[in-house]
Amino acid sequence: MAANENLLEIKNLKKYFPVKAGVFKKTVGHVKAVDDISFAVKNGETLGLVGESGCGKSTTGRTILRLLEATAGEVIFDGKDVLAMDKKELRGIRKEMQIIFQDPYASLNPRMTVADIIGEPLDIHKLVSNKKERNEKVKDILEKVGLGEEYMNRYPHEFSGGQRQRIGVARALAVDPKLIIADEPVSALDVSIQAQVINLLQDLQNEFGLTFLFIAHDLSVVKHISDRVAVMYLGKIVEITDKEKLYEDPLHPYTQSLLSAIPVADPTAKKDRIILEGDVPSPVDPPSGCRFHPRCPKAFDKCSIEEPVFKDYGDGHFAACHLLEE
Amino acid sequence: MNFLSKEPLVQVKGLKTHFFTEEGVVKAVDGVDFEINPGETLGVVGESGCGKSVTSLSIMGLVESPPGKIVEGEINFQGTDLTKLSQKEMRKIRGNDISMIFQEPMTSLNPVYTIGNQISEAIMLHKKVNKEEAKRQSIEMLEKVGIPLPEQRVNEYPHQLSGGMRQRVMIAMSLSCDPQLLIADEPTTALDVTIQAQILELMNDLKESYGMAIMMITHDLGVIAEVSDRVAVMYAGKVVEYTDVETLFKDPEHPYTWGLMNSIPKLDQTVERLEAIPGSVPSPLNFPSGCKYNNRCPLATDKCREIEPELETISEGHQVRCWHYKELERLKNERAETAKIK
Repeated sequence: MAANENLLEIKNLKKYFPVKAGVFKKTVGHVKAVDDISFAVKNGETLGLVGESGCGKSTTGRTILRLLEATAGEVIFDGKDVLAMDKKELRGIRKEMQIIFQDPYASLNPRMTVADIIGEPLDIHKLVSNKKERNEKVKDILEKVGLGEEYMNRYPHEFSGGQRQRIGVARALAVDPKLIIADEPVSALDVSIQAQVINLLQDLQNEFGLTFLFIAHDLSVVKHISDRVAVMYLGKIVEITDKEKLYEDPLHPYTQSLLSAIPVADPTAKKDRIILEGDVPSPVDPPSGCRFHPRCPKAFDKCSIEEPVFKDYGDGHFAACHLLEE
Repeated sequence: MNFLSKEPLVQVKGLKTHFFTEEGVVKAVDGVDFEINPGETLGVVGESGCGKSVTSLSIMGLVESPPGKIVEGEINFQGTDLTKLSQKEMRKIRGNDISMIFQEPMTSLNPVYTIGNQISEAIMLHKKVNKEEAKRQSIEMLEKVGIPLPEQRVNEYPHQLSGGMRQRVMIAMSLSCDPQLLIADEPTTALDVTIQAQILELMNDLKESYGMAIMMITHDLGVIAEVSDRVAVMYAGKVVEYTDVETLFKDPEHPYTWGLMNSIPKLDQTVERLEAIPGSVPSPLNFPSGCKYNNRCPLATDKCREIEPELETISEGHQVRCWHYKELERLKNERAETAKIK
C-alpha cells in the first residue's frame, strides 16, 4: 500500500438517536449526533478530531467501529465497507481497528488480572495457541507500554490512573491493529502523567506504523500529537486541514473562537479573545442553515437560511462557511 | 479597593489537615503557609491528591470530622483564627464573608428547589430581609452574572439550565452576600473551553466590581496564568513554590514547577516530544521521606531523600521549598542549548 493512501474513509456518515416519548414510546424526533460527515485518515497519520461536549466526536469514533450502528453513510477501512459487513467479517476487521477509552477506571474489568485483560483479545482472535505463548505475548506488550512483567497478575485497582491507561493501550495493541481510535485518552489524567501517555502513543506509532484517530477536546494536546485536525460542531465537521494551517490560519469562525478561548500558560500574553455568546444548541433541533450562526460573531442573513457547503479552499484545507465563498 | 493595605485578608500558617482512616493517617495537607491580600487573586495549582481542595475546605470549615481533623496551624481571617471557631460561629462567616464555588455545579445545587429559592435562602440567612426583597436581590444577582431573562430564570430548576448557566447561578449565590473572599475550586474544569472563557471573564469582571479576593484552585496552568496575581504551587500536601504570577512563569525555581510547565503542550510552540515528569503522583498514604518530590526530581541527592527542605525565601516575595533550586539554572541552560541546536 502506498504511504499516502487512505486507510480509513468516511463518507456521508450519519448517526441519529431516536427521541421517544409517550406511553407507546413513539419516536418524536432525532438527536442528530453525527449528521453527514465525510473525511479520510491517511495511512500512518494521526488525525485529531476536536470539538466541545455533545458535538458528536465520540459518537463518530464509536460508529466507525460499529459499537454503534450508523444511520446512513459508508465507512471504508482498507478498501472494505465496514458498515456492510456481517458479524463474522466484522470480528475479523475489529482486529485491525482498536479503541482506547477516556476513563481508565471504567474501561478495565476490575475482576480480571492484567494478564487476562490483555490476553482476552489474543484468545478471541486466536492469535495464540497455548497459555505459555499467551503469557510471552502479554509480557512483551506490557514491556512496550512501560510496565514490567511483575504487574501481570495484578488487578486494575492496584494501579494509578496513568498506569491503567497504559494497560488500556496495551490491550488495544495486543492484536496488532492498523488503526487505533483514541477517545480522550489523556483527559482523565494528571498534567504530569498526560505527557507520559502522549509520548508513549507517539513512540508506539513510530514503532508499529499505527494510524490514529485522536478524539479530544483539548486543542493543545491535539495540536501536539496530530498531523491533521478536524473540528466538529453540533454533528458537522466545520473545518479540516493540516495542524499548522489550522492553528496559524483558521478559516472557520468557530475554529477561530475555539482557539482564542484557550487560556495560555503565559501571564504576559495579551490576546484578542473572541468570547462566544450562549451555549451549544441542542442537537435535537439544530439551528437552520449554518449550525453555528446563532453564536457566530460574523453571521449574516444567508447563514440562517442556507447551509454552507464543505469544500476545499486550497491544499486540502476544507471548511464550511458562507463568509469564505464571498 | 483596599488593595494596597498591608494587612493580609487571610493568613494560613502551618496548616495540617489529616484524615484518620482505617488504612492509616492520610496527611492530605501537611504544613501549608500562604496569605491572600484583600482584592487579590491567589492561584493554587497542583495535581490530584496534592491537598489543594482540602486546604480550601479547611478554610471554609467544611472538613468532614471524623475522619478529618485540622491537627495543627492557624487560619487567620480578619484577625480571627477560624480553626478556633465553633460550628455556629463558622456558619456566620461561611456564605457571608467567605463563600465557595465548586467544580460540578449540578451536584452543588439542590435539584428540587428553584434557583431563586436557593439564592434567596443564602441572602435571608445572612441579611435581615424578607422574602420579596430576597427574591428581588436574587434576580438582581442573576442579572449581574449575565443570565438572560433573570425574572423568568429565577423560577426555574437547576436541570433546566446548561452547565455554564448553572455555574453562573453558583457564582450569583456565592456573591449574594458580598463576600471578602471567594474560594473557587476548579470552577471551569467541567465546562467546555468556550464556556470556560465566558466564566473566567465573568469572574474577572466581578472581582473588579466587588473588590473581593479570590482563591482560585485549579490544575490548569493556563487558567492560573489568566487570573492570578500570586500563585502557590502545591505538591504532596505542601506549598513548594509561592510567588507572583509573572515570576512563576518566567522564572520557576522549583524543579516540580519547571517540570510541570515543560510537560504541557503549548499552542504557540511545536516540539517533537513532550518532557514528561517520570513516575507518578505519590499517594498521601505513602509519601516518600525527605523532600516529597525526590523520587521524580532530576536534581535529587541523598540529602533530599533524608531531610525535607523548608519553604525558603529566595528573593522578595518568592519562596521555594528545595535544597538545590540554584542548580535548576544549569538544567534550564542545558535545555535552552539543546533547543538552540534543534
